[in-house]
Amino acid sequence: MGGLMDGDANHGKAALPGHRARRWAVQRQKLIPYVFIAPNIVLFTTFSFLPLIYAFYISFHDWSLIGDPEWLGIHNYTRLVRDPLFWQSLRNTLVYALSTVPTSMAIGLLLAMALNRRLPGRTFIRSVYFLPLVVSAVATGTIAAWMFNENYGVINAALVQLGLGRISWLSNPAWALPSLAVATLWVRVGFNMVVYLAALQSIPAVYYEAAKIDGASGLSQFRHVTFPLLAPATFLLLILNVIHSFQVFDLVYVMTGGGPGFSTTMVVQYIFKSAFVTSEMGYASAMGVALYLIILVFTAIQWRASRQSESAL
Amino acid sequence: MIKTPTPTIARRTLLGTAAATMLSTGRLARAQSPVTLNMTVWGAAAEEAAFNAAIAKYKTLHPDVTIRMEVNGNAMQAYQQVDTRLAGRQAPDIFRVQYQQVGRYASARAVVDLTQYVDVKDEADFAPAFWQAASYKGKPYAMPHHTDTFALYYNRDMFEKIGVVPPTSLDKSWTWVEFLDIARKLKAAGAPYGFAMSWQNAAFRWLPFLYQHGGQLLSTDLAQSNITSKQAVETIAWTQSWFREGLVPPSTSVKSSEQPQNLFANGTVGMLMAGDWQIPFLSKNMTKYNWGVTYMPRDVAMASDLGGNCFAVSRDSKRPDIAADFVKFLSNPENMHDFVSAAQFLPVRKSLMGVKLPYALRPDAMEVFVAQSATIPSHLVSTVTLPNFSKMNAALTDQLDLAFTSGQDATATAQAIDQQVRAVLAV
Amino acid sequence: MKARSTAQATTAIWLGLVIGALLMLFPIYWIAATAVRPRTEIFDAVISLVPAHVTWENFIYLWRRQPLLAWMTNSLFIAIVGVFITVFANLLCGYTFAKFKFPGRNILFFAILGALMIPIQVILVPEFLITAWLGLLNTPWGVILPRAAEAFGIFMVRQFMVSIPDELLEAARLDGAGEFHIFTRIVLPLSRPIIAVLVIFTFMWRWNDFAWPLVVLTDHEQYTLPLGLNLLRGEVNPEWGQVMALALIGLAPMLIIFLLFQRYLVQGIASTGLK
Repeated sequence: MGGLMDGDANHGKAALPGHRARRWAVQRQKLIPYVFIAPNIVLFTTFSFLPLIYAFYISFHDWSLIGDPEWLGIHNYTRLVRDPLFWQSLRNTLVYALSTVPTSMAIGLLLAMALNRRLPGRTFIRSVYFLPLVVSAVATGTIAAWMFNENYGVINAALVQLGLGRISWLSNPAWALPSLAVATLWVRVGFNMVVYLAALQSIPAVYYEAAKIDGASGLSQFRHVTFPLLAPATFLLLILNVIHSFQVFDLVYVMTGGGPGFSTTMVVQYIFKSAFVTSEMGYASAMGVALYLIILVFTAIQWRASRQSESAL
Repeated sequence: MIKTPTPTIARRTLLGTAAATMLSTGRLARAQSPVTLNMTVWGAAAEEAAFNAAIAKYKTLHPDVTIRMEVNGNAMQAYQQVDTRLAGRQAPDIFRVQYQQVGRYASARAVVDLTQYVDVKDEADFAPAFWQAASYKGKPYAMPHHTDTFALYYNRDMFEKIGVVPPTSLDKSWTWVEFLDIARKLKAAGAPYGFAMSWQNAAFRWLPFLYQHGGQLLSTDLAQSNITSKQAVETIAWTQSWFREGLVPPSTSVKSSEQPQNLFANGTVGMLMAGDWQIPFLSKNMTKYNWGVTYMPRDVAMASDLGGNCFAVSRDSKRPDIAADFVKFLSNPENMHDFVSAAQFLPVRKSLMGVKLPYALRPDAMEVFVAQSATIPSHLVSTVTLPNFSKMNAALTDQLDLAFTSGQDATATAQAIDQQVRAVLAV
Repeated sequence: MKARSTAQATTAIWLGLVIGALLMLFPIYWIAATAVRPRTEIFDAVISLVPAHVTWENFIYLWRRQPLLAWMTNSLFIAIVGVFITVFANLLCGYTFAKFKFPGRNILFFAILGALMIPIQVILVPEFLITAWLGLLNTPWGVILPRAAEAFGIFMVRQFMVSIPDELLEAARLDGAGEFHIFTRIVLPLSRPIIAVLVIFTFMWRWNDFAWPLVVLTDHEQYTLPLGLNLLRGEVNPEWGQVMALALIGLAPMLIIFLLFQRYLVQGIASTGLK
């Protein structure tokens, strides 16, 4: 449907109503979906896809950000493959994802199941668990760094009161990532709980009645009724949480700055450092493109896996 | 950004005229229409107040010129913002920059060569070390504004308790061995830790220890890496021993976000190596103890850190003439005098260096900093003002942090820094 | 017998939930406790759980020292306008993907999902260049427009709208209603639950945005609350009492929004069918 033809039709509309007008109406009907999605497409193109293409272009250059870019070819990509720090930051990201995604989803599910029954103060308790989600990541990081502070933080003060020793939460490489994971759980559990709660409520009661008649115990009810019916919610949460974990930035930036050593340096942290600390925008872009592809592949795998499990059901 | 919509050609002519007038009369042609200039800085409350005072003074002299100051929390955030805005050709007209960073901006032509705006007679009043630190290939790309250095703050009450009298002159400053002994005594007397060093997010402040021990990061001609020398490895091992022995809080490594001045103020550490700009904070917040300042420890040599800042005019400024005039104004004798006295810094003009300045707080402590500033090694100045130094600093940050927090041994640390420094030098 | 053990189990669950809730609340209590503590108490080596003295000095200093009102207004403007644009565009777009068949639909939908996966740090600088080129730096629009398209919202809307019966739309078309009319008069009134979900999440995201506004807004007067918080936190000598006071101020509007809409939140998400 060429734009020119539409223009003609439009032009002749006044002279020849009827046939042409109807053809125009059909054409217009075909255009409507494009008009409706146009605002989003324009915004995504301008502020997401064009920048992504530009980042891809820059990844073949040496660019200090304040000077002029110089062509480097694929050097940034060969460097990336050989850079042990890139692999370490990728490993850190995976460890972070593995330690936060399953745990926060499991806790979210437990909370949702507990809060799906009639309990005194149910609405209030639900709100409390959801509450941290509304706290900005900067504020979360700030308060977490404040509480985990080794010398005047409240957590160590409590440990000392209990007669235990202080723990170097943020300056011992063994403790930094767990501290970060705890702060993450605090934020994310509520979101997972709400989504699971919603999913639980859309399970028809009939299923449970049927299970009861069959004499299924609580555990087997969960295994054979609840969990399979929660699969779509689990799938949605898995994708969102994994993407979120791969993109975590503000919290790390505020809490540990990627240290001690490289123990909490995530890929995104390394990208940020290359771009703004060592002024290697080209290399930062190459890592960015690689990270994007990794997330894309991960999501595609999850997508396929869920499709297969659904068709198996 | 300048809010005046002057057409380009007209602006060029005006700019040429302004420069010409200035060279001939030494004064700036008055701005024709109101001009707004943006200036990006960071700094503590006292510095912010001092900048505001200077801006207000400039406004009374030049009512047409408005300077809008944007304050960032710290240097790192300020650089990130300035760099991004430079990439978008939207940089502020004027920005604060450390001596260590001038070369980076100058070599990328991101800041304006100030030669044509500088009066030769005035140039002669600046201490040569700082003028060179703000220059690149012999041309001034920033105007030195002030300097600062490190000395040793101590908790007077704790010192009385352990019966230690701090050195009273530079030549009597403690040796490394004496210094660590006192740190151990403080710990034995009940202080949770002996001392702390303020090098968080500024690993280059490790270098003075290297010079104290007779080492250098680079060779004398600055062309080779020198970090695998015996002295360097020993210095790494020595600073690492602070952490191993528990003399400093584990949270005070170079990558941490800990603020050691808090730990000094509340008595967690008995001594603090930090800059003069902490005086206002400690005067206000260290209410439970008395404190004093003495000299940095030394080994085979004395050395302290090159600190302080300059002001540069960005290439995106549409009125570099006026911006340069304001930058010169900030560094003129009167304003430099007022700034350093109010915010507790050291001057960089010869005419102010011999003078007793009316420091608002603790002039006794400031005397120590003044004396200590004479120990900044000139080779250290040339090293940290190299255009690529920020990359070497990143290597120092990463590897020293590994040594201090993760047990990477001194030789491996030196080798890792060496590898990265060589890569930087090879470009 | 059985009823009693169920009652016991319920009590145990309830107790567990309450203890968990107290743990979740503690950091927020700690923000508040630090915000009202006098400066001299903040770094004490021995920490009291309840501040010995309560002071409002942190709020007062904050008010005097920083353009607090401007930060709040900016945050509110960005969040409210952002919510309007994003929610409307999301609804229109999600509806289209759910109810229209057109060439390129799948490709476009997956492209949009692909946008969800772009880490902001990767495109920060190019996005900044485009925003600068559009002349949007240091304006609230420079924050609103680049963030107006939200892939997550489109995805949720599509899930929800799939379940709207086609017959309803066809009937309206036969009556000669225009497509936009159908959307605003028939589709939107049916979409209240999903709109509530989108409003809460979008408001929350815009209110808390950090990485992007940090590069776009450089003028203090244009700052939002998280930028102000970052400024205070990053200072050479942060005033922790004031930092926490500001964190508390930033929290309050979100709390109100959440308490008002939380009832619809669960319903709304449930209504997408989660498929």
